[in-house]
Amino acid sequence: MQPSTVKIERNLLVFAIWSALGTIGVLLMIEGFARDGYALALSGTAAIIAALAAHVIVNAMFGTGFSVGETALGLTSFGALVLVFVLSVLLGDVSRIDFYAGLTLFAVLAAAFVTYLITRHGLRGAFSRFHVGTHGPDLTPPPET
Amino acid sequence: MEGTGGTTWLLLIGAAYIAVALYWARTAAAENQGEATWFSAGHSLSPWVAALVLAGISVSAWFTLGTAQIVARDGFVYSYLLQSGILLAVPGTLLFKRAWFIAQRYRVSSQAELLRLYYGSDAIVLFVAGIALLFAVGFSGMQLRAVSGLIHDVSGGAVSSPTVGAALSILLFGYVVIGGMRAIGYLGVIQTVCLVSASLLLTALIVIDAGFIDAINARMLARADAGESAHLFEVAGVIQFVSGLGRGSFYGHPATAVANLSGAYALLGLAAGPIVLKVVLSTRSTRGIAAGQTWVLAGFFGLLIVLPIAAIGAAGLGQSGFGVAAWLTNLAATSPWFAAWIVLGFAAAMQAVAGLSILVAAETLVRHVWKPYYASHLTRTATVMLTRIAVVIITIVTVLMAFLAPVTTSALGAFALPASAQLIVPMLGLCWLGWITPAAALAGLSFGLFGALVTDVAGIGLLSWFGLDLPWGRHPWSVNSAAWGLAANIAVCLLVSAASRGGDTAPTRTQIQQFLSASLTPHNTAHLRSYAWTAGLAWMFLAVGPGLIFGSYAFNPEGVWILGFPSLWGWAMLFWLLGVSLIWFLSYRMQMASHVALDIDAFQPAPTLPRDAVAIETVRLRNTVVALLIAAGTVTLIVWSFGGGA
Repeated sequence: MQPSTVKIERNLLVFAIWSALGTIGVLLMIEGFARDGYALALSGTAAIIAALAAHVIVNAMFGTGFSVGETALGLTSFGALVLVFVLSVLLGDVSRIDFYAGLTLFAVLAAAFVTYLITRHGLRGAFSRFHVGTHGPDLTPPPET
Repeated sequence: MEGTGGTTWLLLIGAAYIAVALYWARTAAAENQGEATWFSAGHSLSPWVAALVLAGISVSAWFTLGTAQIVARDGFVYSYLLQSGILLAVPGTLLFKRAWFIAQRYRVSSQAELLRLYYGSDAIVLFVAGIALLFAVGFSGMQLRAVSGLIHDVSGGAVSSPTVGAALSILLFGYVVIGGMRAIGYLGVIQTVCLVSASLLLTALIVIDAGFIDAINARMLARADAGESAHLFEVAGVIQFVSGLGRGSFYGHPATAVANLSGAYALLGLAAGPIVLKVVLSTRSTRGIAAGQTWVLAGFFGLLIVLPIAAIGAAGLGQSGFGVAAWLTNLAATSPWFAAWIVLGFAAAMQAVAGLSILVAAETLVRHVWKPYYASHLTRTATVMLTRIAVVIITIVTVLMAFLAPVTTSALGAFALPASAQLIVPMLGLCWLGWITPAAALAGLSFGLFGALVTDVAGIGLLSWFGLDLPWGRHPWSVNSAAWGLAANIAVCLLVSAASRGGDTAPTRTQIQQFLSASLTPHNTAHLRSYAWTAGLAWMFLAVGPGLIFGSYAFNPEGVWILGFPSLWGWAMLFWLLGVSLIWFLSYRMQMASHVALDIDAFQPAPTLPRDAVAIETVRLRNTVVALLIAAGTVTLIVWSFGGGA
């Protein structure tokens, strides 16, 4: 099988997962915000986390991590959502339930992100992922003799 | 403005879907690397992709929406619909593995090519082309109209149905033309998961709205106690010898046990037809066939139908005037995001089956009819270009038919499954029954299609147009036209096979039979054959046949619903479970669909000198045009003289 075909099939699986689970999660969050229903918003968070977990499982099956594009999209979306949430809170347009629902989502996503980094790279390695440049510790394993 | 929220969310989710569709079309086009693999993705679709797409196009929007609506209107008496996950998996279990190996050895990629190769008959190819067109124009057109109407309703009338239909069709031929079969495969995965997601979400919302399952059961029980039990929860006897729908009344209602059994034969036709076979033959190995048929289609999708989809219908049974479209319109007023997502799921599923149908119809017409008869000099590039043009033309015809001639489209769509069911016999001949001769297959198919046509609304309407009013209506004796056709098909096939045996010495057929018996004969299964036959026949008899009479009362002793819901629903759940076991047994234990690791050498035909056929093809084209003109004149004359009625 061509390497490009393997990559495409992995991307297809990821697309399918986010189409089925991720979208439902987002819609449930919206419904939760609209109806002031914490349980609804929480089920949306659960669906999003399930999609993230399925994405990680697919990565493991194909022996890859998140692609650069996926990381960029994920972090940008996360940042944009946080920004909208903070602005909404500052403008006083958020109910108490919505506030806690949003906070839960961001907390759970952040926890899931850290958990992923730790399980994939180890505690020290995860910390070192945030080092940019040449000052970080060299984690390359020594060559076998 | 009413419907503004629904329209906004529809546009938002629709735009995301368009972006996804075009992204995968582009990816597929890049992977195709030119025209060489446009028709069948270079036989390289992954088994899991094929398994999902096969399940998605088999179930599709018509099934999920249609079954829920039928249960809501007629109750649980059409039990075969609830077993469709199993029924749709039966032909795949019997045929796909062998068909794939033959196609791989002879490097062919469609049902028309397979049947031409084995039977050496061009007439069978024409029949397959006709059936593919029925799926493209009738079956897909019917779904296109239904989904467009749904979007129109959910948008609060802000977008008209024809506009929606046109937009969906432009996207459809866009991605088919760009990415070919590979785009259909890739996007089919997304479309299938969208369908599942939409179906589950719709079920959850409707069940919650109806007050959960206890309230639904209570309302059904109330209807049963009010004296409606007979026509909602009990099959109307084994058979009724009446003239058929539209010609006299039935005793009680038309859902007899034989109506269920014969309706099941129509469902078998979907998986034995050219549309589904195209996906199978574009796959790179047989690794996913058994798992796809057993766990994905019979297991997961079977469960989806027998529980969530049936639950929607059950909820509808307790509400007068229930309709999924009306319900979604109400939902759009309160939660437009949910309504938009559900509608998009059904639209995506419609596109999955429509895209594939249109591609197969266009390919069959161009590659298997036009090119071999009239333009053998066409290069690969020119053939792909012509097929792309055919895709666009067929799509336009489908849209026009769907919105300008909805009754004709419905009649053609309804005839697609019974017509396709007639291909079961030649496919069984190809894969298992070597004694079926080409003459028998062709004669059987011809009589079968005729039998199905004159007992279905399309044929009855057509003959009426010619001035011939048949004395029976649709589905006489409550027997589906698929079964009338199959009865004629099998009878003629047996007779002609008996008469023409021995005169058939085509080397290709012998080679194929030798190849199958040398490579694919199951091991250590001889002692299980009788069990397989017994289990299969018993399942058919009890789950969708006359055994449904027991099903009406099995969990309903003395009028008490011991399960809390109708006996037929419980019966359907029980036989879904047994059906999955049966498909597993046939697929894996009987090795009918299980993976076989074989190195298949491509068949090398004896070298022949190319002939310049331009002169012959020119004459042939002229003769065809003259014949068509004479036929058109004759039809006009007959209609003018005798017919023209509705």
